[in-house]
Amino acid sequence: MGTVHARSLDPLPMHGPELGVHADDIDTPEIEQDSKQEVLENKDVVVQRVHIDGLGRTKEDLLTYEIADVFQAKNLIDVMKKSHEARQKLLRLGIFRKVEVVIDTSQGVDALPNGLDVTFEVTELRRMTGSYNTMVGNNEGSMVLGLKLPNLLGRAEKLTFQFSYGTKETSYGLSFFKPQPGHFERNVSVNLYKVTGQFPWSSLRETDRGISTELTFPLWKTNQTLKWEGVWRELGCLARTASFAVREESGHSLKSSLSHAMVIDTRNSSILPRKGGLLKIHQELAGYTGGDASFLKEDFELQLNRTLFWDSVLSASLWGGLLLPIGDKPTCIADRFYLGGPTSIRGFSMYSMGPQSEGDYLGGEAYWAGGLHVYTPLPFRPGRGGFGDLFRTHFFLNAGNLCNLNYGEGPQAHLKKLAECIRWSYGVGIVLRLGNIARLELNYCIPMGVQSGDRICDGVQFGAGIRFL
Amino acid sequence: MSLAAEAFVSQMAAAEPWPENATLYQPLKEDQILLSDCASSLAVQTYLRMCGLPVQVACRANAEYMSPSGKVPFVHVGNQVVSELGPIVQFTKAKGHSLSDGLDDVQRAEMKAYMELVNNMLLTAELYIQWCDDATASEISRPRYSSPYSWPLNHILAYQKQWEVRRKMNAIGWGGKTLEQVCRIRSAFATSSAQFFFQPTELDALVFGHLFTILTTRLTSTELAERIKSYSNLLSFCRRIEQSYFEDKILSVSLSLFIPSLIPSL
Repeated sequence: MGTVHARSLDPLPMHGPELGVHADDIDTPEIEQDSKQEVLENKDVVVQRVHIDGLGRTKEDLLTYEIADVFQAKNLIDVMKKSHEARQKLLRLGIFRKVEVVIDTSQGVDALPNGLDVTFEVTELRRMTGSYNTMVGNNEGSMVLGLKLPNLLGRAEKLTFQFSYGTKETSYGLSFFKPQPGHFERNVSVNLYKVTGQFPWSSLRETDRGISTELTFPLWKTNQTLKWEGVWRELGCLARTASFAVREESGHSLKSSLSHAMVIDTRNSSILPRKGGLLKIHQELAGYTGGDASFLKEDFELQLNRTLFWDSVLSASLWGGLLLPIGDKPTCIADRFYLGGPTSIRGFSMYSMGPQSEGDYLGGEAYWAGGLHVYTPLPFRPGRGGFGDLFRTHFFLNAGNLCNLNYGEGPQAHLKKLAECIRWSYGVGIVLRLGNIARLELNYCIPMGVQSGDRICDGVQFGAGIRFL
Repeated sequence: MSLAAEAFVSQMAAAEPWPENATLYQPLKEDQILLSDCASSLAVQTYLRMCGLPVQVACRANAEYMSPSGKVPFVHVGNQVVSELGPIVQFTKAKGHSLSDGLDDVQRAEMKAYMELVNNMLLTAELYIQWCDDATASEISRPRYSSPYSWPLNHILAYQKQWEVRRKMNAIGWGGKTLEQVCRIRSAFATSSAQFFFQPTELDALVFGHLFTILTTRLTSTELAERIKSYSNLLSFCRRIEQSYFEDKILSVSLSLFIPSLIPSL
């Protein structure tokens, strides 16, 4: 946990595609159309044959889609470019360990003088790969065993199983992923999981057993995801001393929800981007397809980045969400939004803001949060061009609010409620990028607008996560 | 409950008087509650009435999961949550309310032994009838137990509960018993303990809770109730307690799942 602001127990990380290459941060050099290369460029060639060597269980029809473009090439530069693209496409399927391209003149009886043969030499991944690692966190140690069957049926399907055995909790997840041949972005995945989470800020323990099916496809510039999820949720108190409000939420419930997510991401990197923007809209309708929980949940995330002078970057983000109960049943503590902590409004303790009872935070039905950052390289730029580039200093200003709305009142009253008692904070810190998936932050924060009941973290605060305000 | 926790609770409890808004939580009385839970709940209510401590009864579908020990009933007093009769007796004692002060050490030890016996025999027998007798389990226990939940969770939870109870029964060697044997055990027990009721104590509350519930609950077989009815001393005991502590007829309201026609026959 620690990365999502609305409580949701994502299954162990196994979201569909595993791209072989993270090209996010590589500025692809434009292929220079130099006059020196005229000779090659002007020479018309024909790609006569494309070979793929080293295929075992992979079905050929899957690959024809990926390499079809190579036949369109009209000159040598084009052939190289198209072959390179085809290689990237093949690697992206996640079924090959290695892909090498050899371009040669055509041989044989029917060879044209300007004919070329392109050969892809591929090495398939093993039928089954395993992994194990240990994790420590949240006063708990765990061992994670993973099993992956890539290219299960020969058309880039993937079956993943993860099992985590911890000192306190056991979790598992089984996931099947299938892309449409030729359109890797259009894919279907089915997940089966059990996840247990402990939320000390709410004195709550949650065990989710669920099944979900997901359909992902690109549409214009966006990426759309449609999902159905059925979860059996078991809530319990973490300690005897849990407040009665949390105790009242204990027990079993069944959530069946349909959700839709839309993402537009034009950033050059998901962690520490220099340019581009992100818009994420997520909506969830629960109760329509059965189950005990019925609500409509909407939330969005917006981020804009712009490079300023001296490699510094200005980044602005805005989050917001609304949870609307349907029927007369109040919303469940597991569905509500939480705010605060080193990944959202810095200077406050993790999810320790807003409605609470006897020190246990109950979450809210509406929230917004905004952040303004200036990222700069480290002062004097030590380790420039290498290790030092993983670090940034940043100055930040965060603000936000989390509350419950009375839906009998009009939108005017809602806006007024969200605008009063705003929590905000400012400070300075160092950011470390971990690969292209996570980041660590060490900040000095000054929280402001603290309301009674909020827990603050005045001074130095450490944060780790994959999603940051 | 661990010793330290128990000591802590009693220390905390002693500090405050019994509040007016004390609440007893039990499963939904119309659709959900089962014989054993109903008996335990009635026992606690009877005990608190004997002590003269006011308590409101609240019905919650998730009462079992709200309880710190996973068993119903439990009481919410001030900011304390205490479940089951034994700890509740301790808790009220710490607040200065006790029914067993007049007893000498031997009597008190006997009473404790009998209470253990009631829990071991009567309660176990009730659980056996509810979950191990196939007809009762499929016609009454499973549908009632799972009534607040939607499909398919209702089936999962009911079978999970049944499996849990059956495993426990097997562990204590009741797994192979027949309904007939169980009935004989409990009626034999009931007669032996009946001689103890000469002054109201927590034991009386416990026995009353169980007997009254068995007498007035509709089950697939009436054999059990019939056996208890054949002991006139048990019937008069039940009637005496009912008249002394439930004169205001709250009982017949709170136990609406029972067959009223049985009550006049007491």
